[in-house]
Amino acid sequence: MSKPYRLTCALFIFILLLAPFQILASEADSIAKDDHSGHFDYFLNSEKRGERLFKGLTRTPVEWQSCVSCHNIDYIDTLNWNPSAKAIAGTFANKSIAEFRSALMSPLGKKMEESHQNYSFSDEELGYIKSYLQDLNSGVLYDTKPKVNNLIVFFFLGALITLALVDLFFTKKIKYKIIPVLIFVFAFGYQIQMLAEGAMALGRKQNYAPIQPIKFSHKIHATDNKIDCRYCHTTVDESKSAGIPHVNLCLNCHVIVREGTNSGKFEINKIHAAIESNTPVEWVRIHQLPDHVFFSHAQHANVGKRDCQECHGLVEEMHVVKQVEDLSMGWCLDCHDKTAVDFRENGYYSESFKKLHEKLTSGAIDSVRVTDVGGRECARCHY
Amino acid sequence: MNKYWKSLTELKNGENSVPDQAMPKGNLEQILDIFDKNENASKSNRRDFLKLCGFSLAISTVVASCENSVQKAIPYLIKPEEVTPGKANYYASSFAKGNDYCSILIKTREGRPIKIEGNDLSGVTHGGTSSRVQASVLDLYDTSRYKHPKKGNQKLAWEELDETVKKELNRLKNANEQFVLLTSSIYSPSTISVIQKFIAEYPNVKWVQYDSQSALALIQANEMCFGKAGVAEYRFDYADMIVSFDADFLGTWLMPVEHIRQYTKKRKLCNGNISMSHHIQIESRLSLTGSNADKRIPVKPSEQKLLIVQLYNEILKLAGKEIYSVPASNDNMKQIAKDLWSYKEKSLVVSGSKDTSVQVIVNAINFELENYGSTLRVDKQLHTFKANDSDMDQLLKDMKSGKLKGIISYGVNPVFDYQQGKEFSDALKKIDFSLAMDEVPNETTALMSLLAPDNHFLESWNDFEPKTNRYSLMQPGIRPLFDTRQFQSSLLSWMGEDSNYLNFIKNHWEKNMYPMQTAYPNFTTFWNHTLQQGVFEPGVKSVFDTKFSLANMNSFVNQLAKQADNKGIELQLYESIAIGDGKMANNPWLQEMPDPVTKICWDNYLCVSPKQAEEMMLETGDVVELNSQVKLPVYVLPGQAYNTVAVATGYGRQVCGVVGKNVGINVNFLLPSNDDFTGDVKLVKTGEIYNLAMTQTHHSMEGRAIVREAGLEEYKKNPSAGNESHHAYENASIYEKPKFPNHHWGLVVDLNSCVGCGACSIACQSENNVPVVGKKEVIRAHEMSWIRIDRYFSGDEFNPDVSFQPVMCQHCDNAPCENVCPVAATNHSSEGLNQMAYNRCIGTRYCGNNCPYKVRRFNWFDYTKADSIPNNLHDVAEMTIDLKRMVLNPDVTIRAKGVIEKCSLCVQRIQEGKLNAKIEGRKVKDGEIKTACQQACPSGAIIFGDLNDKESKLVKETSSKRNYHLLEEIHTLPSVSYLTKIRNKKA
Repeated sequence: MSKPYRLTCALFIFILLLAPFQILASEADSIAKDDHSGHFDYFLNSEKRGERLFKGLTRTPVEWQSCVSCHNIDYIDTLNWNPSAKAIAGTFANKSIAEFRSALMSPLGKKMEESHQNYSFSDEELGYIKSYLQDLNSGVLYDTKPKVNNLIVFFFLGALITLALVDLFFTKKIKYKIIPVLIFVFAFGYQIQMLAEGAMALGRKQNYAPIQPIKFSHKIHATDNKIDCRYCHTTVDESKSAGIPHVNLCLNCHVIVREGTNSGKFEINKIHAAIESNTPVEWVRIHQLPDHVFFSHAQHANVGKRDCQECHGLVEEMHVVKQVEDLSMGWCLDCHDKTAVDFRENGYYSESFKKLHEKLTSGAIDSVRVTDVGGRECARCHY
Repeated sequence: MNKYWKSLTELKNGENSVPDQAMPKGNLEQILDIFDKNENASKSNRRDFLKLCGFSLAISTVVASCENSVQKAIPYLIKPEEVTPGKANYYASSFAKGNDYCSILIKTREGRPIKIEGNDLSGVTHGGTSSRVQASVLDLYDTSRYKHPKKGNQKLAWEELDETVKKELNRLKNANEQFVLLTSSIYSPSTISVIQKFIAEYPNVKWVQYDSQSALALIQANEMCFGKAGVAEYRFDYADMIVSFDADFLGTWLMPVEHIRQYTKKRKLCNGNISMSHHIQIESRLSLTGSNADKRIPVKPSEQKLLIVQLYNEILKLAGKEIYSVPASNDNMKQIAKDLWSYKEKSLVVSGSKDTSVQVIVNAINFELENYGSTLRVDKQLHTFKANDSDMDQLLKDMKSGKLKGIISYGVNPVFDYQQGKEFSDALKKIDFSLAMDEVPNETTALMSLLAPDNHFLESWNDFEPKTNRYSLMQPGIRPLFDTRQFQSSLLSWMGEDSNYLNFIKNHWEKNMYPMQTAYPNFTTFWNHTLQQGVFEPGVKSVFDTKFSLANMNSFVNQLAKQADNKGIELQLYESIAIGDGKMANNPWLQEMPDPVTKICWDNYLCVSPKQAEEMMLETGDVVELNSQVKLPVYVLPGQAYNTVAVATGYGRQVCGVVGKNVGINVNFLLPSNDDFTGDVKLVKTGEIYNLAMTQTHHSMEGRAIVREAGLEEYKKNPSAGNESHHAYENASIYEKPKFPNHHWGLVVDLNSCVGCGACSIACQSENNVPVVGKKEVIRAHEMSWIRIDRYFSGDEFNPDVSFQPVMCQHCDNAPCENVCPVAATNHSSEGLNQMAYNRCIGTRYCGNNCPYKVRRFNWFDYTKADSIPNNLHDVAEMTIDLKRMVLNPDVTIRAKGVIEKCSLCVQRIQEGKLNAKIEGRKVKDGEIKTACQQACPSGAIIFGDLNDKESKLVKETSSKRNYHLLEEIHTLPSVSYLTKIRNKKA
């Protein structure tokens, strides 16, 4: 390699090495800034006081539960039926203290009644809490899933490899050569594994279970209340898309059912709020195929008579919907290879494919699989 | 066998001429030129560098826990009952723009119009469409559309505008000042009623209808001859012999969609029919109609009038009547007259002339041939042309003199397309109250002080009567995208009436159309049924006693016979097939559609005859100055009559969106709109060279006879005439012949029916999200059309025979593209489709290189924003803007940069058709699945079907003796086949 290229490469790698530290540093800076930036004292105080009230750090009667014990302020992995602090903040963002008070003091649901018993906050205190919630609502760090930064691990391993190699060839401080070699092999191996795993997971979302705008539980609806999947997902038999129920459909029941066992009225009220404010509910999409895949629910659920659970898992047992399968092409084709086609009943198949029918009747094959009628061909799904 | 040549250079230099050019550099090479400073040594370095870059990038993206972005799934708040997400709805409606009319179906997905299809139920267009109809859906999402009412540049609310307009209207009414409502031809019964009411409310309003290409001569001639003004109904399907004097009836004259169907219906050689009409075209420019004619006689425009008179004389002679004293006719005319006489009652003579006396003589000829009542009907009229040119001239006079105090314009652009456009614009500026009601900005609306923008036709209600007693409805496919209001609603509200135009139409129909029928017991069922069908065609029997009465025939004859003096080089203006009068110039699909004959897109140019070009040392691309007025690039058009030149109007728009702005040159001012031609044109070669974007020079068939043809007489004797040579080997491939256990999809194109209009290619573009690449890319041979129409000339360079051949992927069963793909991105399905998996394609372009039909297209750039890498974008037509992307078909992948694409035989429609059959548990019915090109074709030249279904129409056609495959000798075994072209030439 000629010199300029080597230099450029070195620079490139150097920048790559520095990048994570830069990012970390800048994050730390921003946090520091948030804490000390020159707000007016009054507001800072009120938020701080609100935070103390919310977290139950001020002197309050012992029997009062602190707000935070039910209304989480951080991201949590488990399901909390109670509205999070952020959700409350969002709901009351444009409402007056009086409304906030009436909502807080005159509990709507059973559960809320129990916990909000005997609360008596002054308007001043409520104002503090509200401004604290407001602050939370505008916060950026909230609601992002904390994660181990793979990049740091990766570059740490990189540094380890470099050290091992440097020692192996130049400094030779370690007596047994096997040690740097082992370090090299394990570190490099782990790096490769990280790469491979990362690459395979690109664009796939197995086990993805995001927080939804409404804490809708399929378990309560489909198992406890025995509502059929097709009651809400109406177009599954006729269209590509199974259909996410429109809000009006929810109201079929929820015009009467105004309170949930677990979530009280807070979640169900969101349906009514959507209708009143004429804004649709923005669900977070879980099962998603790439744009170049044309999957039809009608083909699978209606013609192929597949159960919903075969692809979606036991959704009726989930409080929070999770993507069970990885929805990869290999997974699709596995099923196409195994699944038998309704070859005798459906007129589309029964009146054609003469050779396959002959084989079936002669007993050469026991069933016709999707693959046998072209289920592995590109243009069945990609066009 | 005919020798075919694709361009004049080829004809002259022989087949082996290779343009002397350096090997063009690829895209990547151009970019990487910056690295090539260090000569040889640098080559590997550059690669290493890139490898390292790529590796580091891969690491950083993969490891930096590349999270999937959060996608939202937003259902309806309240779902409309009729909408099923993922399934299309179709609404019957009508397309009407200026003089163009078509009965259509709007295909909507989730309430969004994405495609226009023809309405089979219409008795006018019979399910046919044109390229402009197909492209009109893109105009809905035009970014240049007016988005709200305006005063100057200031945004207004509709209430404010209404108040201002009402005040002005009342002021002018009270002062009894002259006021004009300027519209294009209006053939909507309800709109006419609205306008009449408007005039009753404001009696000082004068209604002027203006067409850039009026049919005044026809209207007046019919009034003179039969006492009934209007354009007659032409029935080309009843005519055994057609003689056309410069009437491009398959391209732009009157109602091409209807004419193409009639014309090809008469010439279809199927179901045992072995007769065809004989078509003679006498014209100067090789038009689309001329290129389909059995015999074409190139003459100068100035000579035509005499020829028509001579023909009249000859016919009179044959009828045994008194003849006029005109110069003796040549043998050609005598023969034509004799033939016409032998096809009495079943012939048709038409002329595209704008001279009333010519049309009178043509009427007289048709009358002598007793064609009235069979191929011509005066009692049934075409209503799409109503303008009277003299009204417009009077209007200009009044404007100049200051008599006119106010003007409202709707659907017209006289500043651009009126010959005195310049004067019109100067006069328009002086008028205090000017109001435009168009949906998109144009040269005229730009000068108007007030603006009340109309809806797009896909957002509007309306009704039409394009022909006598053929009614149709227009219904919206979407709510207005912007704050616009329909023209009719605006007029109604300014009259102080209920501005709901739908109610107005309903009332009008209840009063006028409902009594015409007896099938429906009440109006609601009648209305609902009609709305669902889109058309209402009551079988009203009108009795019209066609009596030809004209006293001073002699004066017309003498007048025409006199004018036959030679006038040097003569210039004709014509409307191009794609752009028309320029109203749709901002439509990139139309701009990129090559002209059927010249195969040039994104420009207008001067058509020059080969002989003239030789004399003046001109070649295609040379720039000439015409009368020291305009500079135009030259196209040497075989078949153009010597000493004549022609240029298309509709180009050179100045005020329109980014797509059509400054494309080509405006030539409308060169010729009064009621003249056929202008003589003594001076051409001066400037020495400049201009790059024309031609699509055909790239697709050489290398001298092989791809189009097979025969004469009708030969065909009658031997049905496989011209189609004798067939590839004999059953299986010449080393691969096993593929088996098709269920379907074997195929397509047949009847070359005898295809007139080359290009509706199929735009339909394909719309259906399959085929990108627009722009002029520069077309010049680099990067156009993307999945179905192209090849045009071949054969025979005499001065009057060639023309053949059109639509070529799409042939879906070969032994496909050369499939076995060269290193990643098996293209392979064969068990249904006979040559599949293309874009997500697997790595862009080696081996397949494109190995395809003998050159139908594979490569995405050199990202034209439609398929991915999020901004540097890949190449967007000349705003197709990456969200608004315009709304037109994309959600059932077809948007292709990214670096992949090959090609015709899929509309596999999304096949899959949909199969799924419907499976849901209902039955076999796929023949004709149930139609490809987009087949659906759009006005002549029914394309038939899609299952080759395994022996009862299908496709198999019936392919088992014909006329059936052949392209390049059979290379044993590709295509699923697409062609039927030979038969010409009805008379010895």
